[in-house]
Amino acid sequence: MNSVNLAYSFDLSVIGPSLPTLLDGLWLTLEISTIVIVASAVLGFPLAVARMSKIEVIRWPAQLYIEVFRCTPLLIQLIWVFYALPALLGINLPGKLSIIVALTAHLTAFMSETYRAGMQSVPVEQIEAAHMLRLNRVQILRYVIVPQAFRQQIPTILSLNVSMFKDTSLVSALGLADLTFQGNILASQTYRPMEIFTMVAVIYFAIAFPATLLTSYIERRLLTSGSRGAQPPTPGLRSTLARLRPGQRPPALANPALKSVPKPEGV
Amino acid sequence: MTETNPTLDKTPDTDTGFDGAFLRTRGVSKSFHGRPVLKEADFRIGSGEIAVLIGKSGSGKSTLLRVIAGLEEPDAGDIDLAGQAVVRDGEYQDAWKDLRGQIGMIFQSYTLWPHMNVLDNLTIAPRLALGESKAQLLERAEQALTEVGMAHHLRSRCTQLSGGERQRVAIARALMMRPRLLLCDEITSALDPPVAAEVLGVLTKLKEEEGIACGIVTHDMAFASKAADRICFFEDGLIKEDVPPDRAFNDPQTPGLQAFIDAVRF
Repeated sequence: MNSVNLAYSFDLSVIGPSLPTLLDGLWLTLEISTIVIVASAVLGFPLAVARMSKIEVIRWPAQLYIEVFRCTPLLIQLIWVFYALPALLGINLPGKLSIIVALTAHLTAFMSETYRAGMQSVPVEQIEAAHMLRLNRVQILRYVIVPQAFRQQIPTILSLNVSMFKDTSLVSALGLADLTFQGNILASQTYRPMEIFTMVAVIYFAIAFPATLLTSYIERRLLTSGSRGAQPPTPGLRSTLARLRPGQRPPALANPALKSVPKPEGV
Repeated sequence: MTETNPTLDKTPDTDTGFDGAFLRTRGVSKSFHGRPVLKEADFRIGSGEIAVLIGKSGSGKSTLLRVIAGLEEPDAGDIDLAGQAVVRDGEYQDAWKDLRGQIGMIFQSYTLWPHMNVLDNLTIAPRLALGESKAQLLERAEQALTEVGMAHHLRSRCTQLSGGERQRVAIARALMMRPRLLLCDEITSALDPPVAAEVLGVLTKLKEEEGIACGIVTHDMAFASKAADRICFFEDGLIKEDVPPDRAFNDPQTPGLQAFIDAVRF
């Protein structure tokens, strides 16, 4: 096992002059992250609806899209859009745009699955109740399903977005001057990679950590407020579980009120 | 049908097909994945009448309520509502769109929307579906909550309410749409007996004061014996008996009902 090299002396003097360049890179990282997160948040919704469609020609392509982007590495997706799209289809996108397209396509797949999970967690009886109260499909989606689904999935959505913010570092492999790319350049120029990449890590952490704290805070609030979409186990489930326990009477029969049922004459 | 359920207490139709029953079904059937769960059900509920549907789980009683509510499409049969044909040979007729609003349904699980408070739960549907103003709806919501003994919970969050309170709010929410027929699917099965009695008492009051017709699936035989005008016993998808409660409990005509009564009385 290697011992820790305590002899390494950090030269913090390289940090100050490097900061403007690193902040330039951070600006591009934040710009790309923001565009990708907003676009995915919007595009994920119709994709989730398509994924849940009863019509196969709508559902299957949506599912195929999601699985392709979930089951292949992000770096491969970036490279494919950056290099293969122009070569195969003749679609030439500017470098930054092609990267935004690839990242958005990737995050959209995950966002749609998050939305779908949230929407499907809303108990079907709540939707049927809305139907009985004459709300139409759009109104049920707008007022019953989406608010609950969104509340329930906020922690997951925030986590996905924090991951995406960090995953933008992969774009440095394609030559886009983001935070990681600038760190790479500076490390080569200063010969102090340890200091530079430590600073890069600190900057990523300074952005991501408050976001994860926010995620935890929202999750705690949702749990304590009890306002998440899915309710506690339904009575139906409780009674089913009760029936599964050995020696347990179904609740309906264990009801003491039943003892007061009038006894038929002659029995 | 008459061969399988000879004790059905039938009321003859008039020439118009409307015999005073607010709801009438004839030969309504429903299958799921090829398995028949409801077989040629002849059923009726009059205005101001409580019909209690009893039977083992899977005997078809909830399916009948869901078919009447429009949550399941019937495979066959006719349904009349307020004297008008809403389903013929399993097909919905034009009158269904106009009359479906007269049916309210309350479910076993508490179907209040937890992200809204009680007032919003009560007012959102009439505001969106009926176009009523907020001021008008506030007054109506207070009235509806008073009817179910929940007037002090107008601004409460649904998650703060107990099971019985939630069910009473669910009834108030259904009342906001001014239904003439309330369908209740095992709405008290998760409640303690005193709370269940309170909830079912609300339905009895609505029947007596508002003349609302109620179709109630319940295993609460104490309630069924006291409040029901008719007991409909379901077995294997068939309505085997449709009789007044004293006859159902004291003089069951079919072995199935006799066995069911014996089982729940223990």
